Amino acid sequence: MPTIALREISKRYGKGGARAVADLSLEVADGDFMCLLGPSGCGKTTTLRMIAGLENLTGGEIAVGDRLVDAAEQGVFVPPEKREMGLVFQSYALWPHLTIEGNTDFGLRLRKVPKAEREARVTKVMTTLGIEQYRHRYPSQLSGGQQQRVALARMLAVNPEVLLLDEPLSNLDARLRLEMRTELKRIHREFGTTIVFVTHDQWEAMTLATRIAVMNTGTLQQVGTPEDIYDRPANRFVAEFVGNPPINIVDPGGDDGLGRAAKAFLARRGGAARAVTSIGLRPEAIHLTRDTATLPAGDLCGEVTLSAVLPTGGSWILELVSEGQKLHATTHAAPVWQDGEPLHFHVAAEAVHLFDGEDARVELAETPGAEARIAG
Amino acid sequence: MSEAGQTGASGPGGVARSRRMLYRLRTSWREPTALIGILLTLVFAYLIVVPITTLLYDSVEVQFGDQRRTGVPVGGLTTYYFNRALFSPVAGDLFWEPLSHTLSISFGAILISLSVGGVLAWLLGRTDLFARRWFATALIVPYMLPSWTFALAWRTAFKNREVGGQMGWLEALGFTPPDWLAYGQVPITIILALHYTPFVILLFGNALRRFDSQLEDSARVLGASPRIVARKIILPLMLPSLMSATVLIFAKCLGEFGVSYVLGLPVDYDVLATSLYRSISSRQPGVAAVIAIAIMSIGIVSLLIDARLVRESRRFVTVGGKGSMDRQTALGRYRLPATGFAAFIFLISVALPLLVLTMSTVMRVPGNFALGNFTLDYWIGSGLEFVAFPNGILLTPDLWQATWNTLKIVGLASVCSGMMGLLVGYVVVRSQVRAVSIFLRQVTFFPYLVPGIAFAAAYLSLFAVPRGPIPALYGTSLILILALMSDQMPYASRAGISAMMQLGKDPEEAAQVAGAGWFRRMVSIVIPIQKGALVAGVLLPFISGIRGLSLFVILAVPGTDVLTTFSLRLLDYNYTQAANSVVLIISAIAYFGTLAVQKMTKTNLADGLGG
Repeated sequence: MPTIALREISKRYGKGGARAVADLSLEVADGDFMCLLGPSGCGKTTTLRMIAGLENLTGGEIAVGDRLVDAAEQGVFVPPEKREMGLVFQSYALWPHLTIEGNTDFGLRLRKVPKAEREARVTKVMTTLGIEQYRHRYPSQLSGGQQQRVALARMLAVNPEVLLLDEPLSNLDARLRLEMRTELKRIHREFGTTIVFVTHDQWEAMTLATRIAVMNTGTLQQVGTPEDIYDRPANRFVAEFVGNPPINIVDPGGDDGLGRAAKAFLARRGGAARAVTSIGLRPEAIHLTRDTATLPAGDLCGEVTLSAVLPTGGSWILELVSEGQKLHATTHAAPVWQDGEPLHFHVAAEAVHLFDGEDARVELAETPGAEARIAG
Repeated sequence: MSEAGQTGASGPGGVARSRRMLYRLRTSWREPTALIGILLTLVFAYLIVVPITTLLYDSVEVQFGDQRRTGVPVGGLTTYYFNRALFSPVAGDLFWEPLSHTLSISFGAILISLSVGGVLAWLLGRTDLFARRWFATALIVPYMLPSWTFALAWRTAFKNREVGGQMGWLEALGFTPPDWLAYGQVPITIILALHYTPFVILLFGNALRRFDSQLEDSARVLGASPRIVARKIILPLMLPSLMSATVLIFAKCLGEFGVSYVLGLPVDYDVLATSLYRSISSRQPGVAAVIAIAIMSIGIVSLLIDARLVRESRRFVTVGGKGSMDRQTALGRYRLPATGFAAFIFLISVALPLLVLTMSTVMRVPGNFALGNFTLDYWIGSGLEFVAFPNGILLTPDLWQATWNTLKIVGLASVCSGMMGLLVGYVVVRSQVRAVSIFLRQVTFFPYLVPGIAFAAAYLSLFAVPRGPIPALYGTSLILILALMSDQMPYASRAGISAMMQLGKDPEEAAQVAGAGWFRRMVSIVIPIQKGALVAGVLLPFISGIRGLSLFVILAVPGTDVLTTFSLRLLDYNYTQAANSVVLIISAIAYFGTLAVQKMTKTNLADGLGG
């Protein structure tokens, strides 16, 4: 299985129009389950369609293995029908006039695969996806989840080296989505296919992908494993886009309770490599206590008032207020505090995300400063 | 590889630029879509843009035989035709009077059809009228038949000694109708009004049906009486659809030829369309061009106004969730009179005209209802008293020739326009070259703005003489096929574009990713999916083409007669029975054809009326 290399690709619609994708470079390794994640309009679907050859490039080049398939500057363009990829559309795009079998063996017929082998392969892929019993039905007679499986089967039947998925789960209901997610993971394992898929759902990206590429306004923000993306966001956009409820942003220059707490924390840690203009605190990293004695040294600590408790079933979202500033925290243990109760919070140093004036990630200085406790 | 790019950017750029060009060629012009787009562009430029341009030019170019009058050699430029048509002493007869006739007929027809059609739409849509469903179909029938069917019926019943041939029924019964009742403005207005009433019923009825009843309920809850609800809520929201119906009826009246020809000619009551026809038949192509341009301009302006109104009305389009208006008003003691009204309209707009026509073809002497006076000779007899047609119409070879011509010409034109429509739709939706898709979308829509008779005049001026490698096509079936095809393109291309839009790109792209090339995708994916749209796109224009007259009357010659022009010729010779029989045949084809198409494609006539 080849790697897919995108080298500084860009896409502009119309002359002088805004760039939908700008100088994007990305390497998808063999066997990757790569996710393009970003808000709608960030250029992720355009990128996927460029890989498939359905959109041409304005600049840059795309190589699959050592074969250049698309290079605007060199006049190279391999049309989509010659790229040997598979693409599952958001709308599934099943052909309404063909049966499930007709949809599934379309690619094999084009490749002039002998009848016996064709039937064997179609039956195998249909059985794997659990749609064998519908082979003589038409797409309109199937449910959304079944149609989704047909769309997958249709592409898997030709054994593509690369499988591209455009928001594959967005049209399914919650239960089917979970089911298809495990299914996709299994397919990835079983077929060993390199998969690139597009989604705006961070939960989907986190659960499925081996690597995630976060995009915004046509540019790549960060590439990494799901853990990288979540625990070490490369910039404020990534930090804010991933995570639910979203990360809390505190201004360390602010003259409010949270700002002072942040400033004090930075001072104690001996400052950062560059000037920090915002600090991100994930809701689940915020721990609350009534008792100042248990506050760990070196943590970012401060005072808040509990203003509301929102149960979500199994976990709770806590709304905290400090001098008019709001913070959200989550907890998996039933909160024992009352609304309106003053509390202390603390966040472990490694869970504090620092960003500079350009919103890029800043690392904490290696040597922690004076081990001062906050006086009780 | 990025090095190559850099060299290109910083170096002399020749190689890099040519590679970029190559890339553009490979991506934009890779597929036959682009080539087909270019071909279609050329075809429609020639079939639509060139005739209209020629027509415009004809109005200022000195025509053969006019050198002396204009003082300019043939082919020179002159304002003579504009002067003659608009300002000379004969301008009144040529242009201004026909214009005022056209306007007064249109407004009269609009007024009557709006009031009658509006009431009927409400009765059919919202009340407990007796036999509501039956009336809903029956009252639409006039629209399926050629409008001058009713003109012939009128003439058969009301004609007086102004015209030769058989007597009218009333005349035969001893009452001679005065000219104003027999010919001219009054009958033309009434007939056009009755013909376009179904139009109002459909458009207005559709709007009523789509009306969100929650809007009405809200007013009711706030204490408004039904009367106030109707005046303050329903009517204002219905206004756009009424305006739209008005403009569309106006545009149709503008090009209306048959009715005015049948009922206006005996008393020299000319409208623009008949004045244009006269100028052409008296070999004054320059003046004809001026009149055609006038008709075209009025048509364009009124449809632009309509487009604007429709856009404006979008502002208060109500997107109703449970929007249907199933609630009925109980008519109470008005139920019977209201049903009587609907029945009366049916009687005068469908039953009586068809009855008169049918009877006239089986009666020897008009208005004599004795049993011995009835005969089938005019259909299947022989040895009749007419010089040219000694046999019944069904035994006359000319009828079968005309029928065959109709099927051939209208059929070919419809098949072509249906296929071209789908192709245009494909190119418009898929083409990577924006200029091509914009041009195609607009040029194929253009004939919609041009009344058929003006369009025919344009074709005549282009194809009457050989131009370049194209021989003179006048007198051949080809000119009729081409003209009819272009005339149908607005509907065909709209249907094609919307079918392709609805299909979307995905199914085709899925096939492409699966490895299918262009022809394969066409044959295995696009055409099979669009089969239904294609069938409807061929059959609907076919039905409307069969009853079409204004296009053919300019372009057909006796050798290429279709049924409509054949019946008109019979009428000119005063062979009343024969003319009426042919019109009945056309009506039957049009009516049963429409029913069959509706059944086959499960479409509704109302859908094709959208605008």
